[in-house]
Formats: sequence, structure tokens, C-alpha cells
Amino acid sequence: MSKIKMLPAMDKLRFSFIFLLFIVIKCESVNVDTVSSDIRFKNVDRTIDISSQLVKITSKLTLENTGGTPVKNFLLAVEQFAKNNVAFVGAKDSSGKDLRLVETTVKGHDQVRFWRVDLKDAVNAGSTAIVTVETVLTKALQPYPTAITQQEDQLVKYNGNLYTYSPYLVASQKTNVIINTKSVESFSKVKPFTQQDGAIQYGPYPNTKPFSEKELVIHYRNNSPFLTVTRVERLIEVSHWGNIAVEEVIEIEHSGARLKGPFSRYDYQQDHHSGPASVRSYKTLLPASASDVYYRDTNGNISTSNMKVKKDSVELDLRPRYPLFGGWRTHYTLGYNVPSYEYLYHTGNDYLLKMRIIDHIYDDMQVDELVTKIILPEGSTSVKANLPYAVTRLPDSLHFTYLDTKGRPVISFTKKNVVENHIQDFQLRYTFPRLLMLQEPLLVVGFLYALFLCVIIYVRLDFSIHKAEHHHKD
Amino acid sequence: MPQTSTAKPGDGHSKGLFQNTAGFSTLITVTVLSLAWLAGFASRLFAVIRFESIIHEFDPWFNYRSTAYMVQHGFYNFLNWFDERAWYPLGRIVGGTVYPGLMITSGTIHWILHALNIPIHIRDICVFLAPVFSGLTAIATYLLTSELWSRGAGLFAACFIAIVPGYSSRSVAGSYDNEGIAIFALQFTYYLWLKSLKNGSVFWSICTALSYFYMVSAWGGYVFIINLIPLHVFLLLIMGRFSQRLFVSYSVFYIVGLLLSMQIPFVGFQPIRTSEHMAASGVFALLMAIGALKYLHSLNPKGQWKQLLILGGLIAAGTVFLAVVLLTYMGVIAPWSGRFYSLWDTTYAKIHIPIIASVSEHQPTTWSSFFFDLHVLVCTFPVGLWYCIKNVNDERVFVALYALSAVYFAGVMVRLMLTLTPVVCVLAGIAFSILLDLVLKEDEIPAPQVETEESKSLYDKAGKLKKRTHEPSQPLDAGLGMNVRSVTLILFMILLMLFCVHCTWATSNAYSSPSIVLASYGNDGSRKILDDFREAYGWLSQNTAEDARVMSWWDYGYQIAGMGNRTTLVDNNTWNNSHIALVGKAMASNETAAYEIMTMLDVDYVLVIFGGAIGYSGDDINKFIWMVRIAEGEHPKDIHEADYFTERGEYRVDSEASKTMLNCLMYKLSYYRYDSGGSPPGYDRTRGALPGNRGFKLTYLEEAYTTEHWLVRIYRVKKPDEFNRPRLPLAKRTVPTSNSISKKLALGGGPTTSKRRKGMMKNKPNIVKGKKAVKLE
Repeated sequence: MSKIKMLPAMDKLRFSFIFLLFIVIKCESVNVDTVSSDIRFKNVDRTIDISSQLVKITSKLTLENTGGTPVKNFLLAVEQFAKNNVAFVGAKDSSGKDLRLVETTVKGHDQVRFWRVDLKDAVNAGSTAIVTVETVLTKALQPYPTAITQQEDQLVKYNGNLYTYSPYLVASQKTNVIINTKSVESFSKVKPFTQQDGAIQYGPYPNTKPFSEKELVIHYRNNSPFLTVTRVERLIEVSHWGNIAVEEVIEIEHSGARLKGPFSRYDYQQDHHSGPASVRSYKTLLPASASDVYYRDTNGNISTSNMKVKKDSVELDLRPRYPLFGGWRTHYTLGYNVPSYEYLYHTGNDYLLKMRIIDHIYDDMQVDELVTKIILPEGSTSVKANLPYAVTRLPDSLHFTYLDTKGRPVISFTKKNVVENHIQDFQLRYTFPRLLMLQEPLLVVGFLYALFLCVIIYVRLDFSIHKAEHHHKD
Repeated sequence: MPQTSTAKPGDGHSKGLFQNTAGFSTLITVTVLSLAWLAGFASRLFAVIRFESIIHEFDPWFNYRSTAYMVQHGFYNFLNWFDERAWYPLGRIVGGTVYPGLMITSGTIHWILHALNIPIHIRDICVFLAPVFSGLTAIATYLLTSELWSRGAGLFAACFIAIVPGYSSRSVAGSYDNEGIAIFALQFTYYLWLKSLKNGSVFWSICTALSYFYMVSAWGGYVFIINLIPLHVFLLLIMGRFSQRLFVSYSVFYIVGLLLSMQIPFVGFQPIRTSEHMAASGVFALLMAIGALKYLHSLNPKGQWKQLLILGGLIAAGTVFLAVVLLTYMGVIAPWSGRFYSLWDTTYAKIHIPIIASVSEHQPTTWSSFFFDLHVLVCTFPVGLWYCIKNVNDERVFVALYALSAVYFAGVMVRLMLTLTPVVCVLAGIAFSILLDLVLKEDEIPAPQVETEESKSLYDKAGKLKKRTHEPSQPLDAGLGMNVRSVTLILFMILLMLFCVHCTWATSNAYSSPSIVLASYGNDGSRKILDDFREAYGWLSQNTAEDARVMSWWDYGYQIAGMGNRTTLVDNNTWNNSHIALVGKAMASNETAAYEIMTMLDVDYVLVIFGGAIGYSGDDINKFIWMVRIAEGEHPKDIHEADYFTERGEYRVDSEASKTMLNCLMYKLSYYRYDSGGSPPGYDRTRGALPGNRGFKLTYLEEAYTTEHWLVRIYRVKKPDEFNRPRLPLAKRTVPTSNSISKKLALGGGPTTSKRRKGMMKNKPNIVKGKKAVKLE
């Protein structure tokens, strides 16, 4: 249990900082853009990957400037029904470099979410540019039926848009849906389409109008793990003595079709394919330098796990205490140490910490709520955080641990709806007078010195009120 | 503590370091005691090193849970804690039914550490509390023994108690139970009692009372103290050893101790209302009477007081005894409780309280376990006892009494071996000290120095011994004595070494299993951990409703509450026998009857332990006969023990087992769909038999979870609308409700109950259908 206290003065400072941050975010989100009529998409090549629990949409947009002036930016849109499922939107240009995205609004389209993509080089009149946009949706796949028995396969339904949702005219578009299974119960049949093993291709559809929607429903078998991390708290404790301790408290729920009826250990043991929708284990990748890994819950060590040290990572094969069926939950704590020289840089008294906001938990993960806390050494001041995407900064607090006197500053922030694409580095700059490193050893030395001094004084001097008459017998 | 008693300023200035005996022996004392502490601590860590820092067994889980509650909610909320998660639907007033000393001790340590910003989890404090206290026990034993005999004997005793299996069995890391701290309190109270008796000072008496208070708050075994000390006083009075010191120390201790002990909510008014405590007040009254007579005697020493004194004493004793008997008869004082009564009559519990008899640690001790738990000490302590009686004084009377009573109690109950162990260590320490005194006696050098050094080397390393043994053999003028001495010395050193080896071995192999994590070893020596208990409790805590009620046998109550965090019906507290009997009855009845009980008790899940798949012998089927006995005690009409045995009186589970056995709930829950476990499929490895009833279906329950090795099986109790509903093909479901024939049949079939009619109706579904139709109209 860590003790967290708040310091009023510091709190005030932080509050103003957060307020500023808030204003900045607010300014950005209040952005109002207009849909330029000069732009049209010459060709859209869209891939919807629904073979896992996530919906990963990758669109290759061929942007054409039909107007007279160069175009510097364009808009991306997400349908009203999916707007709350969007976990991540990213755009890259043809050379694979990330483009800047800003969330924005358009008058008259209040129910639609827009992002403005700023292009690196303006597109001149009449010329084209290729942009790849990646969108990840969470919880867009609905298990149908919602409850299955132990032996049944999990069937899910995907409801999407047959057309690329765009504020611009799309001259030609194709959609490729990857489902990685042959057993499809039903799917929307809008010609032209072809069904190959593991994928369904739609299109090409010519000249679709802006904001056009047409229902796309695919009902298919999906036994890939439907695990949702309902909450993860990531604690990074920095020590200047060469170690960074990372601890993640994770709550996981199987969010697929619920288990209906009994769980039979007999069936589960007889046939390894029993319980196809259940999750027996999953892999977590840790940094290559991770050591002293522990995996436990409130009842102690979870003894069912394996660790493999690979060249570029440490692979943990985590097996929860029990297999996870639909609706079952589990929670655990995963912790490890990494050497600080890989993540902590300094010149003089100025330090820079560069670490991941969230790390890999399992492939195609979806996290409902992430809280990251960074505990800096005692005496660190003027902390500046540099984050790769918008997060909600929580009030700073203090953490007390071994040999602390005034507490260690804790920087914390939270974000909802996180996916693998959010595994990115944050940067934290702070100042720490290096002499302060001597404080803790000196404290120990001083304490022992005082203790021995007391004993010496007590033994050497006679504190008794009256002298004992007889000599003490040994 | 010891260094303050001996180190005198100015002692060392004239002599060198090694001539300064006081300073040197203090150094040795401190070193030996700290080494004893260290060795005692280290030898208790087997479970932590082999497994992990975890709470063991059953009761410790409750202690841990309440400690965690106290740390989280504060002391006063803990005292007022009503635990609605236990004994559903009765609940349990925890604050008033526990000895809070253990929780307060670890809570205080936790508080101090956190005040110093040392963030140690309360679980780790609980796990390591008993090993840490074993060091304190060693120091208390040292003090007690040095008060009785000599400091050398004290060091021996301290080393013995630090590692002796009889004590470490209850104080290994993770065994977070009252006994862990109570033995320290016991020894310390006795030490302070002897100290106060020696000095006759109020200060030491008050200290005794305070230490007694701590003991009362920690363990129900405080009754041992409050009977032993009065017994000691009584014996001293009989022996004519009355003194002002005795008078002061006992009266102060009794009054302060009585008042303090009544502050513990669980004890309350027991010290003045129950027979167990009456000896103390009787002796107190007697002491007062004799004190008064002595005072009168001192006023006129010439009178015929001697006869009067004896007569008066006898009259006082008789009056006190009669008063107690009368008060007991009138019901003011409660008679001996069953638990104490079973100490005098060992067959009492077996006949009257099966629930006490069912616990293995309440069985009489076997001879082998005396040796196993005490090893060489059990052979040597009579020597110490003999010396104490031979050179008797006030304190040694006490230790003789202590030894004799503890030997008796240890013989009655395995569990009370724990109270015997400290006194055995004390007396064996005295015996070894005397022996070394004899063997190492030299003309010039005083014995104590050598002796303490020897006891140190005992603890340090065996190699050091040789150096020492050569020394006394140097003066050759002793002649024959020298050889005999060396041989004896070497022999006893070998004995002590064997003792150390045995202690380590016994602690490591017999007492260091957490029992909630099992380990099995493969042929190649690889270890496989069977973590089924935590798997099941983890599943319960995460995947059942927050207020779900789990029925299981009482052994697992504390663990379900502690690890699974769910409501239980019965637990290890066993305060309500009829509630336990009801659960036993449900387990022993057939499914239908059990379902009635389970609905009555709002049971949502049933948890059984089944060891058949891995050969775990402590499972519910093996305990089942106790469930039947306890159930029979309360429900003699419904449950008969004989029904569960075969005609030849055997307890079996295979096809020859009795019909009642094969159809009871416990049997069905254990063997439901059990077809794995080696060849032939469905073979029960624990009992070495193929279950007699297989392939059956459950009507009222469904399997909710079974752990990987089948050790824990959890069943969900179905709601009334979930079972016994006929499965009708779709085509048949449209039976018209106005079918007069079926209605007539149904109406007619009900009241007449003629056998022929019933026999004619072939399938149940029709009846239900008809009933439904009736209801609709």
C-alpha cells in the first residue's frame, strides 16, 4: 500500500498546469473546419480486419485536388454509430511517415467525428497524394448469440459501413474484409463481391457520394480471445541507483459470448479443443532487459506461468489461475525491473525519462481504462511531461517509501479506450540535484551512529538512583 | 537486556578484555542470544523459500483477514466488527469473539513501520510475525532459566527453544496463529512471576500482571497461567514457605491481573464467573486469611498460634472450596466447559462433543510424537527436574509444577505439546548446564565462563568444539577423570548435534507445508505445484455474485472468506454446533432432501474437496464420517451413522458401499462426471477403489467449476425454475389447456394416491403439464 499525500502548494501549481493543458486541448477540440469541395478521393482501397476482437480498418486513400489552390489538409470522418468505438486513428503519407491529426468538427454534421489531417507537402491543383489511414475500433464486434455453452463456437456479428465514410466524393472504392475463417453464417451481399477463404471482397463501387452509408453485416465464427482489460494501473518507480521498477495491476474480463450452463472439467480435459472460445493463456511481451519478473494476485503467486528470454524481448506465457470463459474475470499484478540506463538520460542535474505509457499486455489488446503513475526520486522538481497523444492528467501526489522524508512526487495520467497502437513513449523532464543521492545513505549512517552512541552512553554511565548493596552475581 | 544487568562501569579498566569476565560473558550472552534468534528465525523460513510468503492452513487465514480488516478500518471498528460474511444467516460478532492480541501486535508493527515510511504489506508482517517472536521467546526462556538456575543454563534453554520442533511446529513463517506470540507471553509472564516472587516487589508484580494481560489478549491458554501460579502459591503455603514476598507478589498480580484480563471483550466476566478461574480467587482468599493470621501471630508471638494457624488455614481453605461449590451449584459460576472437561476425561469429547474429537490435533499424543517434537530433550529434562527438586527453593517448586502439569496436558492432547515444550527446554538446559559444570570443572578457572562459551560454540559450529575439549585435558594431574570427561563431553556434543539435525529436518519436512499449496515431485526430481485451492478461491472471488453464499464443510470456511471473499455458512470457529450439523445433514442426505436444506439456508454454491484424482487424502469423503456423526448428534431421526457403512461395518465408496452412501450429496458431488484419473477411468486413487455409483446426473445442482486436478469442485445450486422442467419436443408443446381428460386425470390422481393409479402414469412430464393446466384455469 503506498501512501499518497497531497501538498497544497504543489497542488495549486499542478492545477494551473492542468488548467492550461485543458485550455490547449479545449482550443483544439473546438476547432471548426469546413469540407473543401476541391478534394475528392480518386481511389480508396480499404481493408477491414475483423479476425481478432478489434476492428482494424486500413484505408489507402488516393487524394486528388480538383480545385485551383493547393490543399494542405483534408478531413477524415467516422460514422455516428461507430464514433464511440474509435480507439485510434492514425495517418501516414506514402513514405510511411506519420502525419499530424487533430480532432475537429464540421458545422451541420454534429453527430459525426472528424479529424483533420495535415499533409507534409501541399497537394497542388490537379495532382494526387497517397495517404494511408489506420483506424482501430473496439467493441464493434457483437457476440451473437450472446451466450454459448462450453462446447460451442463463438459467433460474432460485425455491423459496418459498406462504403468508405468520407466527407468527399469517392470515385472508386474497394473493400476487403478479413475474417480468417471459412464458417460465415451470413454476410451482406451487395454486388460485386467475391468470397475467398478467409476474406470477402466488395467492390469496386464507383462514385459514392459524401457521407454515404450502406449496412454491411457479417456474421461469422470468431474464436480469437475476446479479452478486455477493464483497468490497468501502471506504476513506474524511478530510482537513481540504477533501477526502474514497473508494476502493472491488471483486471481482465472475457468480453465475448457469455458461458451458458455448467462448466465441465471432464469435457475440458478430455478434448483439447473443448471450450473453443475460452482463453487458457496469453503472451505478454516485456522489454528485453526486464528482470525479477513477478506475477501474482491478492492470494499470492500465480504458479502457472512461463518466461522465455528472447533476443529483443522477454516473453511471458501467462496462464490465469483458471481458464477464462465468457463473462469470467480475473485480476493480477505483474511487475519487473529494468536498468535505468536504457530509459533515463541526464546532463548535470537535468534528467529525461523516456518510457512507454503502456506496454504490451497481449496481442490485439483492448484496454478500457489506463492509469499510469510515475514516481520520481525524492527531491525531483520542475517536472515537465511530453506525451505523444492526449491524455487526462491527474493531480500530482506524493508517495512515501523507504527512507523518505518529504515524499516522492508522483505524476499520473489516465486514458480511456487504449489499444496496441498507443504503445508509445512519453518523455518526462525533471531536475534533481545529484547531491541529494547521498541523503539516504547518510540517513542510515546517522541513525546507526546515534543508536550506538545511545548504547555507549547507557552502558558507560550509571543511571540508577541508589547503589545496589551487594555485588551482582554473574 | 542482559548487557545492562551485568556491565558495570569501571569493571574493565584494570584487566584486559579476556580477564573482564563480566563484560566478556555479557558479550557471549548477547552473541548467543542473537545467534539463537537468527537460527530460530532462519529455521522457520522453509515454507517461504520453498513456496512463497503466504498465510498457511486454516485459522491463520481468519487471523490474517481480521488483521487486514483492523489495519484498514481501525481498532475501534474492529472491536465492533460484525462479520456478516460468516455463519450465514447468523453472522458473527468478531470483535467480541476473538483474542485480539495477535491482530493488535501485527497491527502495531504495521503502524510503526508505516510511520517510518517502510511500506511493508500487512501480509508479510503476519507471515513473519511468528518467526520473529520465536527469538523473543528464546530471550524470555533465557531470562526464566537464569532466574531458576544459572545464565549458562539459560543460554542452553534459549538455544533449545529457538529450534525445537515442538515449538516451531506452531511458529513457522506463515503460521499466523495465536500460539506464535502466546508462548513468548507465557514464558515472559512466568519469568516476571519468578522475579516478583524473588524480590517481593510491587513493580515486578505489576509487570507480571501486564504480561499476563498480553497473554490473555493473545491466547485462550492464559487459563494455564491463572491456574498454575495459584497452584504454585498454594503448594508454597502447604510447604510452609509463606513469606511477605509471596503475599505481596501474588495479591498484586491477582488483583491487577484479574482487572486487566476482564478488559478483553472475549474474556469479559469469565474470570469471576467460571470454574476455570476459581482456583486463583480461592488461593487469593486463602492467602489473605493466612496473611491475617500471620499478622495476628506477629502481634503476640508467644501465644499458641501454631495450631490456630493450621486450623485457621484449613478452615479458610474449606470455606473457600465450599463457597465455590455452592456458587457453582447455584449457577452463579459456570461449571467446567466441555473443552476443559475433556482434559480430565479423555473420552468425554468422543462421546459428547464429536466436533472437538473430529479435529486431529485434539487427539491424545502418541509416544513417538514426544520424541519427534522434543528429541533428546525429552530424555534429559527429567534430570533437570530432579536437580530442581533436589535443590528446591520457591522458584524451583514452580518449575516442577509447570513441568508436571504440562506433561499431563501434553499427554492428553497433541496440541498441548506446545505448553510442554518451553518447560522441557528450560529443564533440559539446566541438565546440560549441570553436566558441563561437572565435566568442565577446573581448579582455577570458574565454571560459568567456560560453560557459556561452550553453549555458544554449540550454536556456532561443530568445529569449534574440539578446540575447547582439548583445553581441559591439558592438566594431566586429573588422571582418570580427564578421559571420562572428554568422552562424555564428546558424546553429549554429538547428541546436541544430532538434535540440531533432527530439529532442522523435522521443521523442514513435517511443519513447513502451507497446506493450501501442494507440491508433488516427479521421478526426475522436478517439482510440480498443485495450486488448486487458490485456483478455486480465485474463481469464487472473481466470478460469483458479491453476496453469493457458499456451503462447504467448516474446515474451509476461513479460507473461503479469506481468499474467496464470499459468505460462508460455517467456518473453523465452530461456535454453533447445530448450524454445522445442518450443513453435515445436507451433505449426508440425498439430493432432494439436501436441496430443501440448501434452499432454507439460501445456498448459492456448494464447494467440496475431492482428492481422488491426485490421491490427496485429506478430502471431504475421508472426513465425511465426521459430518455424519455431527449431523446425527443433532438430527438423530434423519441421519444414522450405520447407514453409511456396509453391512460388515466397512466404510467404502465402491460398488459394495451402502445405498445411502452412494446416493448422498457428498458422494454425488465428489464423483459427478469423474472419469479421469488414470486407469481404469474414474478410479479413485485416494481410496483405491472404483466408485460404485457412476454416470449419474444431478437434478438440483450443476457443476460451476472444477479445478485443474479435481481437488476443489464447486457446484451451483439451481433456482427452482431451472430444474425438473420436462423437456418437450416442440411439436408437443401446443397441448390445449382445456383438455378435460388430462385435467380429470390430474385431479383424480392427486388426492386418491392409489398405488395403481400412480403406477399407470408412465412419465412425469404429463403430471406437470396437467398441473399447469389446472393452475391456469
